[in-house]
Amino acid sequence: MKIHKMTIEEIKQGLEDKKITAEELVGTYINRIKKLDGKVGAFLTLQEEEALNAAQKIDEKIQKGLDIGPLGGVPVAIKDNICMKGVKTTCASKMLEDFIPPYDATVIEKLKDAGAVIIGKVNMDEFAMGSSTENSYFKKTKNPWDLSKVPGGSSGGSAASVAAGFTPIALGSDTGGSIRQPAAFCGTVGLKPTYGLVSRYGLIAFGSSLDQIGPITKTVKDCAVGLLAIQGHDPMDSTSVQHEVEKDYLDEIEKGVKGFKIGVPKEFFMEGLDKEIGRAIRKSMERLEGMGAEVEEFSLPIEDSGLSAYYIISSAEASSNLARYDGVRYGYRSKDFDDFEELIVKTRTEGFGNEVKRRIMLGTYVLSSGYYDAYYKKAMKYRKKIQKSYREAFEKYDLILGPTSPILPFTVGEKINNPLEMYLADIYTVNVNLAGLPAISMPCGFSNTKLPIGLQLIGDHFTEKKLLRAAYALEQELGVCNEVPSLGEEE
Amino acid sequence: MKINKEEIAYIAKLAKLSFTEDELLKFTKEFEDIINHFANIDKENLDDIDINSFENFESVLRKDEVKVFKDKKELFRNAKSMRETYVEIPKIIE
Repeated sequence: MKIHKMTIEEIKQGLEDKKITAEELVGTYINRIKKLDGKVGAFLTLQEEEALNAAQKIDEKIQKGLDIGPLGGVPVAIKDNICMKGVKTTCASKMLEDFIPPYDATVIEKLKDAGAVIIGKVNMDEFAMGSSTENSYFKKTKNPWDLSKVPGGSSGGSAASVAAGFTPIALGSDTGGSIRQPAAFCGTVGLKPTYGLVSRYGLIAFGSSLDQIGPITKTVKDCAVGLLAIQGHDPMDSTSVQHEVEKDYLDEIEKGVKGFKIGVPKEFFMEGLDKEIGRAIRKSMERLEGMGAEVEEFSLPIEDSGLSAYYIISSAEASSNLARYDGVRYGYRSKDFDDFEELIVKTRTEGFGNEVKRRIMLGTYVLSSGYYDAYYKKAMKYRKKIQKSYREAFEKYDLILGPTSPILPFTVGEKINNPLEMYLADIYTVNVNLAGLPAISMPCGFSNTKLPIGLQLIGDHFTEKKLLRAAYALEQELGVCNEVPSLGEEE
Repeated sequence: MKINKEEIAYIAKLAKLSFTEDELLKFTKEFEDIINHFANIDKENLDDIDINSFENFESVLRKDEVKVFKDKKELFRNAKSMRETYVEIPKIIE
């Protein structure tokens, strides 16, 4: 078994049976990253020494027969908008190029407690704004399935890291599809949990009412293991879940989809959907029916206006959240200024990239006097309507199914000069964030040109268990997850 | 809706960003396309939706307790300019 193809399950078994040590395992991954990341460009910071030290500690525990935790020895890559104490956390922005957080995000603490070995920080669109990872200040990440294509975004580094076999799991963040769309583009599994299930403490804010951290993995079971490790109430995040959360996502995962009612919004198949993606989704619908699920089309006409509501609300929140970057206490500070006003304006003008400026401008515009009622208030009203539409849908259905993205991974540079076109590609994912629902993207096939196609399952609030169970059943039926990109290497 | 360059310059001022003349022109065009697309929300009937009504919402409160951050050096390491324990900025009041 090649290590880069191993799932978390297999890694745990290998360590338990003493077929491999954690140090060997982590060392092998690091060597692979050093050898191949020049092509992919997923990593911004590699934590080689720290990762090997952490692995040694896991080996010592194994030697002594101690519990190594649910992610003991498992290498993890972290999106670079999640704070790690003493480790550069840049948000892929010049603004935070040398920012070193004085504390760990709650998810980092939880991963460390679970025994995970954090191997490095990965690339993203600047401040998580974008759908291609081309907005990074530092470099462009490539899609491991086709290096001329984008990996999606904004968690493109996370998805590429898993697809390229650099880590079996990575954390991403999802404000409007930023876990699910890159997961779809890279042929990996990506879960955006229910808003509040995972603490946002230490996640650098984009749209605080939408942001959520989640795992990207090769398989659905690994995704379940990852979610279990990072979820739960956190006193440091007042929007985090207040009630008891599910304690086991694996105990019923193999029970199948018999009896599940799955709704498919017919609006998902209208103009703009790539034909090959449409076919792959329909094939998966048939397979689910074959396994005993009841699959039914229905109308959920929220896409178009939802996309507008999303861009209004997320930009408004971003403009407010990013007001903190003024060059005073941390982050980039312009070298040349005469007074305080100039310090702030020059710092922000020099420190932010184009897309970030565009969102700040949009957000400032929709919140400004005279436009607040016309845009922001209307978008907030529509957000309520979307929530109601989903609530009604989940009275009838266990899950909602559709494509993750209307388009296949596109060529690097293809859409970078057309921001509106780039926004329109988020049409199937953004409404889930507006409603705070959980959704998973999983591979369901390939295009003729061997590019991955992602399928999205959406669940009601806090029904991740059901979501993972259905995704697992479909994954086993389709068998797509066993394929990995070659990256020009011999198998 | 038509958006002009002056409007964009005013928003930039509010957002504490500055743009060159070329950037302003480019931004104005992109902005107009995006804002015009947002207008599709106008076709929705939103009359009976009240954004100030909340069902099943509970306030989340916790005790406001002082915790001492042990390593002050760590906390200030990201500041670009310090004088003793203060972050240094240009003079604000003459």
